[in-house]
Amino acid sequence: MTIGDILKESWISISGNKLRSFLTVLGIIIGVMAVVIMVAVGETVQKSITDQFSSLGTNTIVVRASAARSGGVRMGNKQTLTITDADQIKRLSDVTFVSPAQMGNSQVIYGNKNWSTMILGVSPDYAAIQDIDVEHGTFFDENAVKNAATYAVIGPDTAIELGLPENPVGEIIRIQNMPFVIVGVMKARGDSAFGSQDDMVIIPITTLKKRLQGSKFPDAVTMIALKIYNDSDNNVVIEQITSLLRQRHRLKDTDEDDFIITDMKQIMETMNTVTGYLKLLLIAIAAVSLLVGSIGIMNMMLTSVAERTREIGIRKAIGARENVIIIQFLSESVMISFIGSMIGLVLGVGLSQGVGRFILHYNVPFSIWPVILSVSVAVVVGLASGVMPAIKAAKLNPIDSLRYE
Amino acid sequence: MKKQPNIIALNKVNKSFPLAIGGTQQVLFDITFTIASGEFVSIMGPSGSGKSTCMNIIGALDSATSGTYELYGKDITTMSADDLATIRNEYIGFVFQNFNLLPKRTIIDNVMLPLMYRGITIDDRIRRAREMLRLVGLEQFETYFPPQLSGGMKQRVAIARALAGNPKLILADEPTGSLDSKMGNEILRFFEKLNRDFGITIVMITHEFEIAQYSRRIIHIFDGRITYDGPVPKSETTLLNSEKRHKK
Repeated sequence: MTIGDILKESWISISGNKLRSFLTVLGIIIGVMAVVIMVAVGETVQKSITDQFSSLGTNTIVVRASAARSGGVRMGNKQTLTITDADQIKRLSDVTFVSPAQMGNSQVIYGNKNWSTMILGVSPDYAAIQDIDVEHGTFFDENAVKNAATYAVIGPDTAIELGLPENPVGEIIRIQNMPFVIVGVMKARGDSAFGSQDDMVIIPITTLKKRLQGSKFPDAVTMIALKIYNDSDNNVVIEQITSLLRQRHRLKDTDEDDFIITDMKQIMETMNTVTGYLKLLLIAIAAVSLLVGSIGIMNMMLTSVAERTREIGIRKAIGARENVIIIQFLSESVMISFIGSMIGLVLGVGLSQGVGRFILHYNVPFSIWPVILSVSVAVVVGLASGVMPAIKAAKLNPIDSLRYE
Repeated sequence: MKKQPNIIALNKVNKSFPLAIGGTQQVLFDITFTIASGEFVSIMGPSGSGKSTCMNIIGALDSATSGTYELYGKDITTMSADDLATIRNEYIGFVFQNFNLLPKRTIIDNVMLPLMYRGITIDDRIRRAREMLRLVGLEQFETYFPPQLSGGMKQRVAIARALAGNPKLILADEPTGSLDSKMGNEILRFFEKLNRDFGITIVMITHEFEIAQYSRRIIHIFDGRITYDGPVPKSETTLLNSEKRHKK
């Protein structure tokens, strides 16, 4: 019996009961399609998060102010970080860029238009830390910080909301009635996990603290962002910063840190782990429908064996050996599974890519492993669900089978 | 006339079946006979006499509980199921009462089936199947399906299938049982022709004396025992008397 004979025999048997075969194949189609779509969803989420964190840079570290604690008792407010802390951190050999940062919200006015947005006070290093490119004009320099200049770099969305001209450099906007000169417009960066990156106004940190907020503690900031060299060890730098800040903040050994250091690399790794589990969970849920589909095949094959008992008897009477009967029934179940898997794969990839591109406008990553998975599933599910009916068929007594009505 | 070699030799064959309530029921008792190549033999007997069980053993579809069975000089009594399948494929052509054709396969596919299991190439299979369909007069029906044919035509397809593997032995189990008398006689004359012109050994199971008269030897089984083994008698009385002698 050749492979051609086996395939022909299987096709005749499957096509002999079209509705039942279609319904059985449908179970596998839905199962494989669900797995493929879930894999695509999982990978899209993972890629999206990875992309966002990559854009922030894995060698970026953020230090946030935290209330000091002593013996479990909260001490004072959160004004624990200072611009001087940032200057000291910059002296560490592994650190390339440092910027103190403080944010707030305010109305921004241009002409007769106003818009509520985030006001971010930073130093010029912030542009390098966050990979901010300027579309028009420039980012403000150290002199602007030193002089608390009323310069502003605005996001492209903010520019649109305020109805600014295409190149608004030199235009005056008002923040809390204080005129600011636009010195630069950022290039569009898109949304991040933390919201829009294109709707904000960036001003010198000193201007924010002294002029806008009129703070009693003009040196205090809520955050220090920094970037380290690519080949530097994040953990070593974090230890150095921790040691430096504890010393500067005169914390006792028993005191907890009055700052929190967030390492983007760690966050990305954690997020990757979480999304990896999420992906597995989605696949596991989809795999249940695949399991149901394979039970459908086994059910169909068992029914088929019962219905074709006489046929099996005839085949055995005229010389079919047991292994030939087994191969025939296994090839039928594998063929059903294979057809279902291929259709499921095409529909799954088509739907995930189509929905991603045309509805969500997101480039869904195409992965090869749903293809490998589908072919493997076709073989494994087909064999697993067909083996019991096939053995049952092969073990039938030819005399009893021939008498079967 | 030169004596032909034996192709079937049963020696003290017994067959028992287990009963659902426990124990066994013996249906064949010390069955002993030989059939030589080229014979046309009828195994006769009333319903329940054990003739079908005897045919199953001869056809390697079942094994004897004790005794020996040699087919073409090979003792097949203790062969495995797969070896028996090979024996059936190579040596025996089956013709059943209810034809036993595969309804969803074309006529030519049905005829080619035993050749497929023998591993013969597709071209040779088609050539041989067409040859057999021509022999039974159905060459123009090769693309038909069994349900499209009459009973007599179906039985001729079954004969073509039985002959496709070029066996030296045809086992026919009540081959005219599902046919009207005209069709039945046509089939029996065809068996005569196969036996006479091609030297094919034919063993036919029947419970009708009129049908057995087409053969040249009758083995009569009654209550699992052979009560008559000889040439076809002039009347059925001889066979009935043999039953009576056994009852005594």
